[in-house]
Amino acid sequence: MRVSCLQENLAKGLSIVGRAVSPRSTLPVLGNVLLTTDGGRLKLAATNLEIGISCWIGAKVEEEGAITVPARTFIDLVNALPPERVDMELIVRTQTLNLRAGRSEANIKGIDAQEFPIVPTDDVGIHAIPVEAEALRSAIAQVAFAAATDETRPILTGVLLKFEDTRLTLAAADGYRLSVRSIALPDPVPDPFNIIVPARALVELGRISGEQEEPVRISVTPTRNQVLFRLTDTVLVSQLIDGNFPDFRQIIPRQWNTHTVVDTAAFLKACKAALIFAREAAHITRLHIKPGSELAPGHLIVSATSAETGDDVSELDATVEGEEIEIAFNVRFLIEVLSVINTPQVSLDTTTPSSPGVIRPVGDVDYTHVIMPMHLGR
Amino acid sequence: MDMSESAGLDSHAWGIVGHKWAVRLLQRAITTQSISHAYLFTGPAGVGKMTLALAFAAALLCQEEGAIPCGRCRACRLSAAAHHPDLYVVESEHVGADLKIEQIRELQRQLAVSPVEGRRKVAILNRFEEATASAANALLKTLEEPPAYAVILLLAAEGRLLLPTVVSRCQHINLRPLPADVIRQALVERGLAEPEQAELLAHLSGGRPGWAIRAVKDKGLLQRRAQLLDELHSLIGAPVSARLRYAEAMARDPVVARETLELWLCWWRDVMMVAAGAEASLTNVDRYSLLRAHADRFGFARSAATVEAVLAAADRLERNANPRLTLEVLMLDLPRQ
Repeated sequence: MRVSCLQENLAKGLSIVGRAVSPRSTLPVLGNVLLTTDGGRLKLAATNLEIGISCWIGAKVEEEGAITVPARTFIDLVNALPPERVDMELIVRTQTLNLRAGRSEANIKGIDAQEFPIVPTDDVGIHAIPVEAEALRSAIAQVAFAAATDETRPILTGVLLKFEDTRLTLAAADGYRLSVRSIALPDPVPDPFNIIVPARALVELGRISGEQEEPVRISVTPTRNQVLFRLTDTVLVSQLIDGNFPDFRQIIPRQWNTHTVVDTAAFLKACKAALIFAREAAHITRLHIKPGSELAPGHLIVSATSAETGDDVSELDATVEGEEIEIAFNVRFLIEVLSVINTPQVSLDTTTPSSPGVIRPVGDVDYTHVIMPMHLGR
Repeated sequence: MDMSESAGLDSHAWGIVGHKWAVRLLQRAITTQSISHAYLFTGPAGVGKMTLALAFAAALLCQEEGAIPCGRCRACRLSAAAHHPDLYVVESEHVGADLKIEQIRELQRQLAVSPVEGRRKVAILNRFEEATASAANALLKTLEEPPAYAVILLLAAEGRLLLPTVVSRCQHINLRPLPADVIRQALVERGLAEPEQAELLAHLSGGRPGWAIRAVKDKGLLQRRAQLLDELHSLIGAPVSARLRYAEAMARDPVVARETLELWLCWWRDVMMVAAGAEASLTNVDRYSLLRAHADRFGFARSAATVEAVLAAADRLERNANPRLTLEVLMLDLPRQ
């Protein structure tokens, strides 16, 4: 292999694939980055057996070939090189990669590319579904945080992606809350299907698609083992989680006794204040909702109490329909969902102090968040 | 006529010494597509549990999908180099350490996502008797509801050392010690030892081919055995104070203690057999004259009592009794000149 490219391009490519490297794996090759010449470009790839990222950068290829080199060493070295042309050559006999840039030269000992797991990048022959990049990014931000981090129920560490007609619905739940977002697809899907993608993979996709403007093309391999997200010059492939996702529609309450509309930013601020005291009291934060009269507005009173540090009460104006209610939630969950709601106003639907609350952005029917209440602890 | 012969399976027994029935059973599971989601291989250390598990894994992962791994495909090459991304081997840090719940959780995380290259993921959990109670309980969940593509292979010295709830969820295959003949023949056929040395190693191995192969490669193993037997012999003539000092030294390292007790057990069993006149299946054939001398001096009843005493001590150590006290008691029970 003999190939030349610009240091900036190489550094940028490595920053994209570098996140999929798993340095502490029992397979040493997973701590490496795969370099392969591919047509007139250089392909970089890394995988941790759950997520694989491949990225192509412009290069001048003089001789085809492939090698894997330790990611940490290679990334540190490339970042230390001057912003000039980098010439790389593989010394096949010793599996060593020779780098020259400006007046520096380095040799990195590699591992045979044959040992590297296959990271699929090809969606030829598979039906790919285009999804608008910005919509996908924001849907991931609104849903992925609600997935479980505890491995005892592997299904819940994933996000359900449900493709149906012209909609893609993302849903995640961890047993205490549920987050559902639906986005429009430019073209209808011929056959509806569901996949469960590890939340970590989607978070990574959100990160690397930050500058993506063209649609992201989503395809599932014929064996239904993997999903490919194809960006410009980058492909993220993720393994899928096997099993049936719980029927989340059953979890969303259909009616309410109290419907409260409040300013999103003010509610978030009140919750952050409550957290100061609530973090020592199992994050319990009480919401006291009082309907207004013809003359006075309704109120949402957010309060938290800690036996050690003290207490805090914030009163917000709110439009309240229905009955007065007092209900408690985990304030971290409230903060997380309020932080990803982009509309100025947010609604909270409640029925009883022991039934789940539903949070929706006002004016956006495609996002629903359900939170289980906590005991009021009286 | 042998069934497997007609099916053409026996031509290649996965390169495993002995355990033909087990190999046949697993190969048939592959050809009839009736693979269990979990297997438990039990047997003494060195009997061939890991060898069998790795061979089964290679066959399960082979792209040709036959009962005998083709040895040529990418999956087989990766399996042979222990680099297959869908093969996981989980074990405690070293013999005698705990297999921790974090390791089980990590495995569960890996098993939760679909296979990377093939259609299956295979997890081998070595020395599962070393799993802590919480680790074993954590694995139960996976054993109850494994993903469709997962095959879990548990290896352990004995089934009774595991939670019954774990054992009942696995297909249990118990590998028994092999006849000395089989081991001798394998050592000679593979060019590992000259017939004479092979004969000795086959006897000393106690039916464990893995031990015999290790002894060929690691000369220290035989020296260590010789040293331990010399010490055992001198202990018999030693005063109580020397015996207690020996117990104290032994108690410091549980691995050494276990190894020594195993050897003693084997020795006193031989003495007992010689005393009873049943000399067909002796292990320590190279020290026959000393066996004879001990047998003449202590007789059947005394050597049988010593076997019991060693067994009891080993059992107490297994149950976490105080090692020094346990070994001191054993020292007082050892026969004296």
